[in-house]
Amino acid sequence: MSIYGNAVKRPVTTIMLFIAVVVLGGYSLKQLAIDFYPELEFPAISVMTIYEGASASDIEINVTNLIENRLNTVSDLKEVSSVSRDNMSVVTLEFEFGKDLDEATNEIRDAMNFIEPYLPEEVSKPSIFKFNSSMMPILYYAVTAEESYAALEQILEEKIINPLNRIEGIGAVGMNGAPGREIQINIDPKKMEGYNLSVEMVAAILNAENMNLPAGNIEMGMMDYPIRVKGEFAESDEIKNIVLASFNGQTIYLSDIATVKDTIRDITFDEKINGRTGLRIVVQKQSGANTVKISEDVKKMMPGLLKTLPPDVQLTLFFDSSDFIRGSIDNLTRSLMFAGIFVVLVVLFFLGRWRATFIIILTIPIALIVAFVYLFISGNSINIISLSSLSIAIGMVVDDAIVVLENITKHVEKGARPREAAIYATNEVWLAVIVTTLTVLAVFLPLTMISGLTGMLFKQLGFVVSITVATSTLAAITLTPMLASKLLKLRNKPKKTGRFSYSNTIDKFLDSMNEMYGRALRKALKVKWLVIISAIVILIGSFFLVKNIGFELFPEADEGQFSAKIELPTGTRVDESSKIARKIDVFLTENYPEINLLSTSAGADDQGGIMSLFSESGTHIINVSGILVNQEERDRDVWEICDNLRDFLGTIPEIATYTVTPNGGMGPMMSNNIAVEIYGYDFTSTSLVAEELADSLRLVNGATNVAVSRDPIKPELQIIPNREKMAIHGLNTYTIANAVRNRLEGPFMRKYRESGNEYDIVIRYDEDQRNSISDIMNILLTNQQGQSIRLQEVADVVEFWVPPNIEHKGKQRIVNVTATPYKVPLNVISAEIDRIIGNMDIPSNVYVESGGAVEDMKETMEDMMLLLLLCIALVYIVMASQFESFKMPLIIMFSIPFAFSGVILAHLITGITLSTISMVGGVMLIGIVVKNAIVLVDYINLMRDRGHELKEAIILSGKSRLRPVLMTSLTTILGMLPLALSTGDGSEIWSPMGIAVIGGLIFSTFVTLILIPVIYQLFVRKSDSRKEIAEYEFMNAV
Amino acid sequence: MKAIFIVYNQAHTEKVEYMFEQLEIRGFTRWTDLTGRGTETGDPHMNTHTWPEQNTARLAIIDDDKVQLVLDAAKRMDEVNKSVGIRAFVWNVENMY
Repeated sequence: MSIYGNAVKRPVTTIMLFIAVVVLGGYSLKQLAIDFYPELEFPAISVMTIYEGASASDIEINVTNLIENRLNTVSDLKEVSSVSRDNMSVVTLEFEFGKDLDEATNEIRDAMNFIEPYLPEEVSKPSIFKFNSSMMPILYYAVTAEESYAALEQILEEKIINPLNRIEGIGAVGMNGAPGREIQINIDPKKMEGYNLSVEMVAAILNAENMNLPAGNIEMGMMDYPIRVKGEFAESDEIKNIVLASFNGQTIYLSDIATVKDTIRDITFDEKINGRTGLRIVVQKQSGANTVKISEDVKKMMPGLLKTLPPDVQLTLFFDSSDFIRGSIDNLTRSLMFAGIFVVLVVLFFLGRWRATFIIILTIPIALIVAFVYLFISGNSINIISLSSLSIAIGMVVDDAIVVLENITKHVEKGARPREAAIYATNEVWLAVIVTTLTVLAVFLPLTMISGLTGMLFKQLGFVVSITVATSTLAAITLTPMLASKLLKLRNKPKKTGRFSYSNTIDKFLDSMNEMYGRALRKALKVKWLVIISAIVILIGSFFLVKNIGFELFPEADEGQFSAKIELPTGTRVDESSKIARKIDVFLTENYPEINLLSTSAGADDQGGIMSLFSESGTHIINVSGILVNQEERDRDVWEICDNLRDFLGTIPEIATYTVTPNGGMGPMMSNNIAVEIYGYDFTSTSLVAEELADSLRLVNGATNVAVSRDPIKPELQIIPNREKMAIHGLNTYTIANAVRNRLEGPFMRKYRESGNEYDIVIRYDEDQRNSISDIMNILLTNQQGQSIRLQEVADVVEFWVPPNIEHKGKQRIVNVTATPYKVPLNVISAEIDRIIGNMDIPSNVYVESGGAVEDMKETMEDMMLLLLLCIALVYIVMASQFESFKMPLIIMFSIPFAFSGVILAHLITGITLSTISMVGGVMLIGIVVKNAIVLVDYINLMRDRGHELKEAIILSGKSRLRPVLMTSLTTILGMLPLALSTGDGSEIWSPMGIAVIGGLIFSTFVTLILIPVIYQLFVRKSDSRKEIAEYEFMNAV
Repeated sequence: MKAIFIVYNQAHTEKVEYMFEQLEIRGFTRWTDLTGRGTETGDPHMNTHTWPEQNTARLAIIDDDKVQLVLDAAKRMDEVNKSVGIRAFVWNVENMY
């Protein structure tokens, strides 16, 4: 017995099966994580090597080059790039998307083991780390305090951070800008020298004092006592009374040569939150954990924790990445709901029967809920891709049920009992229903096979739509006939119908539309050449319009946040940077009431830790970040505000360079940034080319954030020892370097311990004794013989300018010039850049190439074209086997190019730019538009086989199929309408897809209705089915 | 005894079953998924894409007095909607064991 027969005969089983599916789906939905994008693992691994004290060029030669050469052999490698900075080398390996990074990590580790012996001895063991979007912080809290400020680090660590760390899924909770406690021993060099002491000696004495030591045990009576000498400082106050030496019979205490301060660390970092001093708590999630859930957990826990804090400490939620996610998801869920309502209305409009409508729309929730089961099983999340996929699918899942139900109704109206009709009517159409589903699958399954970033994004789309549509087909041939057999009744035509009844209003309207279309079709068939020529003109015309549309890689969403990095001349002091930071603060707060929260920080926090991975810092760098109020509550968008901020920053003369970045940015992979790569070994010539290009780029309309990746050379003081003089005094470079370091930075010291916490003790020259070149020159060195020699006697101090970073790509030195397009499409700017480069006089040892988003876009375009061809081929294969003909699929495919014309027109009318998203929409259209043509052509074939003359068959079919074609098109169009129209958080990303599909579908539907019949008439002039008959003519003679 | 051969659109299946029950005809032979075409009117039932419908046939050997009842019932069934299709043919039974 067939599947539909069983379904009708065993209604309870059928219902139970579908209820099981719904229950499973509901369970999955409950378990699913909510996220913005599907989890993307950016396929890159970095190898970080620290070589303390080496300059950028030393590192380049001794570390980076070695590592690069070796790692170049790792398999599936796409690109090797590196940055060599002072003290540090970072080599980044980028792989093809989809590469198993664990495997790659192992390979890299093996390779690193091999080269480690060849690296300089002082190099620390290289560390390998993966970049993962889930490492991004998900919550920022701003903390401000008055009198408790000094103890803030301790308070927060105990009362906030430790409890938060217990929440499941939290990766790390860190602090940024915390005022750390520190015991400072500031030595006055003159007094110290007067007593014949040195920093090293003082440090050694203090270290010898600050310790607890076991000293054996003694047996006394019945007991065995361990003995401990307890010398560790119990209070910071003790330190100043430590005896250092005896001088001329007099005891010298530490307080005689130094001041001891129990204080907070030197401030090299100044953070202001809404204008008040503060620090930040950063919460990161573990990879794969649910952002929204963690953020909720943290927020739920916070009020309880806040009560334990001193009253002057204030915690404000500064940034919550789950806000935007939740906003977008809510928005999409609403779109989906509206889509559902629209689809229901369309079905009701065309069928005019409540029961039939109910049967059909029941497939919607079932098909959609299966998508959740898939998402759950495959470990995905509810994100904007999976939800917009559902929006796309919602209009398509009813199609099969409509076809089946229509045929059942026909049989019921002929007088069959619903039960029989359900079985036999389904039997008649089930194969056709499956084949149309196959054409849809032929388009959506290849989407899961695209490579690269686009592939990562659209894998879910492909699977979700394929699965929902396949489920809807299954439901259409089981659940629909079963329900029809129970719910449908033979309607006795009522004798009198009300004036506003369905059959007197909508039905009449639809009938008259049928007639109109029939007449139009008749005319079109008469002037077929005119129709074809005008179609060709429209097609070619629309393709010519392409050049009026801008291109970009990904549409950008207004995420309501921005950040800026402002660089003052290298070496600027923190207090100076702070002043500028205040200026920016004031400008923003006064002019932009839309800014909800604003944080500016100047300088570097040496304990920044995690954060320093994401933002560069230094005493001359100011970081600004701000959060805007919701999109609905403001008129200015984030780009406008950023643009104004750029204008303002341009007016401050102290600022060397600045970049203002709207939105959080999904990392490097989705930006629309343009990059021009300048290769060349010579620093000067490449820097010159880069600067020249950057200068001309700044003048290009729409190019913002123009930046050169090689930092400007920075000043450095070099102590150059004179070997002859050193030899005379018995000194060597190592002693000198150590002595200078000990006086400026401080030697190794044991920690000061108090109630279980450890604090640094820093011993060095007093600040006003170490802030000029002459202070350095005056440093007293002690040689082996105990003689004291001033540094100036054996060395010179010279100011030097050095490049702070050296970048490589593919083992070659490179400088990137980057720019962000603003209000001008990517392709326009990129053309302008090509023109500028063409006009530039580039030295022969420099090679210039454009990269960044332009490069990505080319790759994406190629991928898309390939995908398009693959889809077309697959659709042809499916259709050819369905019609058992080579010609029919060809006729049907004439509707595809017009879908693309529709996409182009839709972009022109709405003024949006063409992006990867809308191109994917275009590819999807193939599967959607051929469906209409299939319905029409199939019916024309049918009519001809039933003996109608060609032209009559065409017109009859047209009239009969107008309703189903309009109905399926309208369900899809209206299903996507909310997606296309939505304006809320994140809508910029998915609305292009809706617009593309709607434009393409409307246009191609009209073309299908007129052009396809005409082409059919042209292709199928003579009936070719009677060829064999001639062979049997011999029988006629009888 | 007469042999009665009823060919009908599958959509009539339940009605024919009901008729057999009402007339207390116990014995019959049934063929399903048949194709065919009427001599004068009606759509062909060919199990093709063009003519997707199919027939079922029943052969029953019944008492002479029931023949007319079956024929009447078939006629009434046909008249509900001619395009569905049902026909009954009767011939003599020469012998049985």
